Amino acid sequence: MSHIKYLLLVSRQGKARLMQWYTPFTPKQKTKIINDLTPLILARKPKMCNILEYSDHKVVYRRYASLYFICGITNDQDNELLTLEIIHRFVETMDTYFGNVCELDIIFHFDKAYDILNELIMCDGSMAESSKKEILNNVHAMDAIVSNDHLDRVLS
Amino acid sequence: MTSLYAPSADEVMQRLRPFGFFFEKSLKDLIRGIRSHNDTPEQLELFLEGQLSECRQEANSSNIELKTNAVLKLTYLEMYGYDMSWCNFHILEVMSSNKLQQKRVGYLAASQSFHKDADVLMLATNLLKKDLKYGNSNDVFKVGIALSGLSTIVTPELAKDIVDDLFLMLNSSKPYIRKKTITALYKVFLEYPEALQSNFDNFTSKLEDTDKSVVSATISVICELSKKNPTPFIKLSPLLYEILIDINDNWIIIRLLKLFSNLSKIEPKLKGRLLPKIVELMDSTNAASVLYESVNCIISGNMLDESDYDVAFQCLEILSKFCNSQDSNLRYISCVLFYKIGKINTIFISQYDELIMKLISDIDISIRLKAIELLEGIVSEDNLKLIVSTLMKQFMGDEVAIIETSRGNSKEIPIIIPDNYKIKIVNVILNICGMNNYLNVDDFEWYNAVLYDLAVISLDLSENDLGSKIGNQLRNLMVRVPDIRHTTIVNIIKVTSLDSIEIRLPTILESCIWSLGEYATYVENGDALIKLFIKKGLHMQYLTQDSLIVALVKLFSSWCTRNKDQANYVKDVLKELVAFLAQTNYSKSFEVQEISVQMSEILKLSLEALEEQSDEIPLLLAEVLPSFFNSYELTPISLGTQKQLPKGIDFDIDMPFLTKEELDNVLADQETLAEEDVDIYDSDRFSLASDNYHYPPVSEYEDRSSDDNETDKFKDTYNDFDDETYKEERRKEALSNPFYLDQSIGNGNHDNLNDILATDNDQREKTPNAIDIIKINSNKDEISHEAVKAKHKKKKKKTKKVKVLADQTIVIPGVSNISTYNKNINSTSPSSLPSSNKISLRTHTKLEDFDFAEQNKNDSDEDQELEKLRSKFEEQIIKEDNLNNSEGEEVVVIKKKKKKKSKSKSKSKEDGMLKKKKKEHTSNEGNQEINSPIIEENAFPYTNEKSKHD
Repeated sequence: MSHIKYLLLVSRQGKARLMQWYTPFTPKQKTKIINDLTPLILARKPKMCNILEYSDHKVVYRRYASLYFICGITNDQDNELLTLEIIHRFVETMDTYFGNVCELDIIFHFDKAYDILNELIMCDGSMAESSKKEILNNVHAMDAIVSNDHLDRVLS
Repeated sequence: MTSLYAPSADEVMQRLRPFGFFFEKSLKDLIRGIRSHNDTPEQLELFLEGQLSECRQEANSSNIELKTNAVLKLTYLEMYGYDMSWCNFHILEVMSSNKLQQKRVGYLAASQSFHKDADVLMLATNLLKKDLKYGNSNDVFKVGIALSGLSTIVTPELAKDIVDDLFLMLNSSKPYIRKKTITALYKVFLEYPEALQSNFDNFTSKLEDTDKSVVSATISVICELSKKNPTPFIKLSPLLYEILIDINDNWIIIRLLKLFSNLSKIEPKLKGRLLPKIVELMDSTNAASVLYESVNCIISGNMLDESDYDVAFQCLEILSKFCNSQDSNLRYISCVLFYKIGKINTIFISQYDELIMKLISDIDISIRLKAIELLEGIVSEDNLKLIVSTLMKQFMGDEVAIIETSRGNSKEIPIIIPDNYKIKIVNVILNICGMNNYLNVDDFEWYNAVLYDLAVISLDLSENDLGSKIGNQLRNLMVRVPDIRHTTIVNIIKVTSLDSIEIRLPTILESCIWSLGEYATYVENGDALIKLFIKKGLHMQYLTQDSLIVALVKLFSSWCTRNKDQANYVKDVLKELVAFLAQTNYSKSFEVQEISVQMSEILKLSLEALEEQSDEIPLLLAEVLPSFFNSYELTPISLGTQKQLPKGIDFDIDMPFLTKEELDNVLADQETLAEEDVDIYDSDRFSLASDNYHYPPVSEYEDRSSDDNETDKFKDTYNDFDDETYKEERRKEALSNPFYLDQSIGNGNHDNLNDILATDNDQREKTPNAIDIIKINSNKDEISHEAVKAKHKKKKKKTKKVKVLADQTIVIPGVSNISTYNKNINSTSPSSLPSSNKISLRTHTKLEDFDFAEQNKNDSDEDQELEKLRSKFEEQIIKEDNLNNSEGEEVVVIKKKKKKKSKSKSKSKEDGMLKKKKKEHTSNEGNQEINSPIIEENAFPYTNEKSKHD
């Protein structure tokens, strides 16, 4: 099973769009990882494989349009292919949620993207729910509660 | 004019806020602002600073919505690297809000910023406890959010406080909550393993939960826990095995395989049960990730022995399919697994040489990087040249990758070869050629050329290691392959005279220069070389200078014995040399200084002697100086031999070699000898010049130098006398004698020089004129190595097969074997050492150290059960084997059955676990007998427990 150590979303321009750390890193380490990985991955050619070794662990990434989804996983223990599947599942889910997701959606609704990610991947980096339907149900349910809250507030 | 009742601007804002009208900057405004201020980094910085101070104010306001908004913005800004731990207390306030949206923002912010902030966490404990209480249906998500948040911020104290609440929630009626609780428990267990110990059964019973996602979460948590500490989970293996058989969800299968590979690492008996199942799985599945995981499980679960050829080849077949696929990811991961299989037994991969050759020319460099490691497994005498030339071509960097664009055209993209790959190539070439004492190399002239090319290439690679590695190879060739020393030395000279090598690849020089010095007799024009080094010498590293100084003297001594007739020219060169050493005499490095002073003293003496008798080379240069270096042929000695020498022997350095009486005798002899000596010397020299045939060939020197010579010497000196007064005398003399250093050199190198020393003692009262002394006492046994080597070489050249000298081992009684020492060296490879610079994913958790055995002491029943289970496993394996042997046909039938079953399962995929189990039971009832060998319910004492949990 893949246990993701961190997930980064980086744009083609090298801007971080989303980052979730499942392992406690110090801020210094975090910046180092981002600064190291971004140019490394952006420089890779389309036909190259999506796995690279960095420091003591492996990094699996996948490009969707202008966005790179980057996951750090443990060497020898995690399944790289499955990690790619998880990334794809995340993108699929966002795609359904936002309806044809694009980079701007993620920029402006980064909290929603986090919500979906939290439903998909547990806070320890393991996959929590592999069913897209289930995730969307949960996120929509939460949204409904939130809008109810808003309504309550307006009515009061 | 404003009316008394007209609301103030603030009030208007307050009233409008519930309707979604905000007058502060929302997150969207912030993001838009960032995008519009994106021109220069300074501009962005300025903008963000402004925003940050705004957020600070908003966060301090009493309005909870404003606060939430600020926290959300701060969370976003944290991505830009702005610390937000200062507002932890505000986050806590937002977390405690009743509104789901605000709670969500609060927990999100908490998960980003709460790391180990003890004060806040103490306050958070109560809040968490409250949030984990399940009230009405809307609370499901509240609890979910709290659980997610909890696991990112948990600390040992928090874990302790909260664990009971979590276990209560395991029994919740909502699968969603159960699932989230289980994953939250994972982090709790890591921080507070005692909780797992006391609630083990409660937790693991969730493996039999009715909801599939709960089971899946449990499996993945157990999988993760077993990575850290697999011992307590072994007793679950029957249950897990059953799940593996029943389930057809690839996500869960992969997780189970991971889990089993962790368990199998410490419980080898699992292999018997698991391996057939995994092999079956590999046959039946189409999913690449499952195939990959199966192979991975077999390898990393230690289920593949050196002799398991069938399984290994089945795995390799899958991997070779992957390697041939278009998907670069598959190629990459299978390369990694290939390597692991090859590590178990290189014979497994040796037949895949074509495939591996293809992989080292892959268009993806990262795949090449992996494939290149495989070369060690397939290299042989026949393909070595091909491999090396393939790799050498890659240095040219003119390869292109053809990429098909979306419009159907194809375009060429040059493959950029990064430096780290080049460095790796150099390393690998050196490795595969040097393997097993050059077993694969049959053409050393070719290898010399390769080494030269590598040295040229390494000039541009900023990796100092390479220099010393190539240098070592050159030196090894020189020492180990006597037949081609002529070629090698030419090569070494070529390398050392490369342009600016002392700056671009300084580390190669040490070994090269040492070789030049040691084999100076092969060099015809030593004077040119000396002049070259004198020019470059001061720019070299200290370590190199160290060997340079000695090498220069060696070169000089060998050169001037050849050119005895050009005394004047020799004098010039010697002067240059002395002038050079005068500079290094004041080197900053003590080592260099020491060796330089030693050498320059000798050379100065030689120079004096040369000036005295300018028409011919003095004896000091012709005989004594070479004798420093030439008495023994150096042979390769295995690593660690020196460490094998017995420790704790007391060396008494002050003790003379001879007793007073012996010394007197020797001195008496010496006086009579000295008179005759001139004649002896002359005749001796004649014999040197005319016939060299008496001198033993190199192999004899090896024998002489190898075994017990030295130890005997030690013993003799040790056993001899201890004359206190004499010692005292000697020490005084040593202090007053300016040539004490020189003496010690003589002593160390030569037992033949002992007599020099003796006379030296005698004449010390006079002004010590070493030249005279040494001239008289030139030893008879002095052997002209030059001649012998030349002879030897000529003989050797006729024979075709190249001889490579192997390491010599010196066996000292009572000391452990050297080979074990070597192994130790190999095991501590530098890569395994953690370097502080690197970012490490490994986080140490308490779970790893936690001793589950304590629990086992308490309930030894469980322990016994485990033992029973093991013995049953074993019995079962034997039975199964018998069955397989006698009823091979039936096994095939079973396999078919299974496939059918899985088809029927896939139809009812959504039906959930319980229904499926029932279905199986009904459909399988008729086939009980056939099924029994595979499912074997009786084998598991734990299957009975099932009813309890259901």
